[in-house]
Amino acid sequence: MKEKILRIENLEAGYGELKVLKGINIEARKGDLVAIIGPNGSGKSTMIKSIFGLVKPTKGQILFKGKKITGKRPDEIVHYGITYVPQGRLVFSTMTVEENLEMGAFILKDKSIVKERMEEVYKFFPELKEKRNQRATFLSGGQQQMLSIGRALMLKPEMILLDEPSLGLAPMAMQDIFRKIKTINKQGTTVILVEQNAHLALAICNKAYVIETGRIALKGGKDIAKKQKVKDLYLGH
Amino acid sequence: MPLINQLLANGLIAGAIYALMASSFSLIFNIVKFMDFSPGAIYVLAAFAAFFFNIVLGLNFFVALILSLIIVSLAAIVINKSVYKPIRERKGSNFILLLASFGVFLIVTGIILLLFGAQVKTFGLPIEKGYDIFGALITKTQILLIVTSLVLFFFLQLFMKTTKLGKSMRAVADNREIASTLGINVEKTITITFVIAAILAGVAGILVGIEQNIEHSMGFIVVIKGITASIVGGVGNVPAALLGGFLIGIVENLGILFLPSGYKDAIAFLILIIFLLFRPQGIFGVKTREEVSG
Repeated sequence: MKEKILRIENLEAGYGELKVLKGINIEARKGDLVAIIGPNGSGKSTMIKSIFGLVKPTKGQILFKGKKITGKRPDEIVHYGITYVPQGRLVFSTMTVEENLEMGAFILKDKSIVKERMEEVYKFFPELKEKRNQRATFLSGGQQQMLSIGRALMLKPEMILLDEPSLGLAPMAMQDIFRKIKTINKQGTTVILVEQNAHLALAICNKAYVIETGRIALKGGKDIAKKQKVKDLYLGH
Repeated sequence: MPLINQLLANGLIAGAIYALMASSFSLIFNIVKFMDFSPGAIYVLAAFAAFFFNIVLGLNFFVALILSLIIVSLAAIVINKSVYKPIRERKGSNFILLLASFGVFLIVTGIILLLFGAQVKTFGLPIEKGYDIFGALITKTQILLIVTSLVLFFFLQLFMKTTKLGKSMRAVADNREIASTLGINVEKTITITFVIAAILAGVAGILVGIEQNIEHSMGFIVVIKGITASIVGGVGNVPAALLGGFLIGIVENLGILFLPSGYKDAIAFLILIIFLLFRPQGIFGVKTREEVSG
């Protein structure tokens, strides 16, 4: 068995009085592609945001490679080798594609490494290279998602967190993005994928959790899709 | 028509100051998303600090200039850390921040009034003979003023476009939360932005001080003109602030051809109202796209 890369224990978090996560336990091993599915408002995004320090947990802990990262700031967490792809294709719309990627490598000091990484991202997403000097606001939805993911690849992270990458994309673009996510995972990066589109997510994952109202309702492998409850609730057949 | 040329020249001189102030407002607006009055206070503070070091203490002008810019930089850091940051952390609205900044403006200029009194002060430079350029009289100081404004502006652009720090400022301005997830220290970046904005406003105050004279109440009207210029250019668009500044300066001076000169300030307000009504995004502004959330 490969080493545990992420362990979330009894995580509770919320916004002010509103408790969104009511004790979540999640585990990922190196090289896993973990899908976290669940309906709107179940706490999926809050969960992924807590890993990255964007939401402060009120209870429980998060361990990355055995080190406690609970309560750290996002700009500290990125130094551990974790990157984050936010929901809604939040690229820097006033900046060019190239500048967006540069910002992805903000914590790297060596400019030649940044250049190298940028070329790798362009090789992975050739469409971005063609648009390198355009402002991100002029990209299509799919291209913005590529840029958002490309930006998170600049650091060659050990683990990448993706928050609803399918949201608002056309079906074709969605398929493309999910193929890329699978490739990223095959190249050795652990992927934590929060997704409302259960079909897509379960097709590429090797481990899955179902969140409902702030609790883990089900967990299992890819075959979780065969469970009657998941079929009824999320797969619609 | 020498009159028109003179008015155009006067417009350029005023515009250079408005452009500096507008870029100061725009930089701050971009990164903290509210119209901050404090550059108006910084403008007055810089002029009085330079007066104090240069005239009261008798230091060399350039030493006085550097000391004044250090003082306004520190003042901007203190204002941001002690007033705006606590409000940001308590999730205060932009309206609260705007009111707080107005409070800052009144406090700073009030302290200056207490320290220096209400009478007008001058740097006591000898009266200069103007150069005749196309029938307009322009003094060396006025040329210096326009050139300094343009040069500063050029370096600001270069800084924002080519340096890592400048780019990270734009990233924080674009999306604070995402910038933080990439390892950018947001608070530090905000502080640096306030310092740069303070230097721009500070230089404007000192230039006006040596070109005209100084008094504690000189800040208010320049706040209005600077904010108008940044709105006319397109709020948050720093390059457009330059154009907005010169536009306001020139239009209000040319207005004297048609209106009594007492209406000069009213012209800026009129432009402000027209833009807010019909083109609130400014000449170069783009209507911002609503972000998807869910």
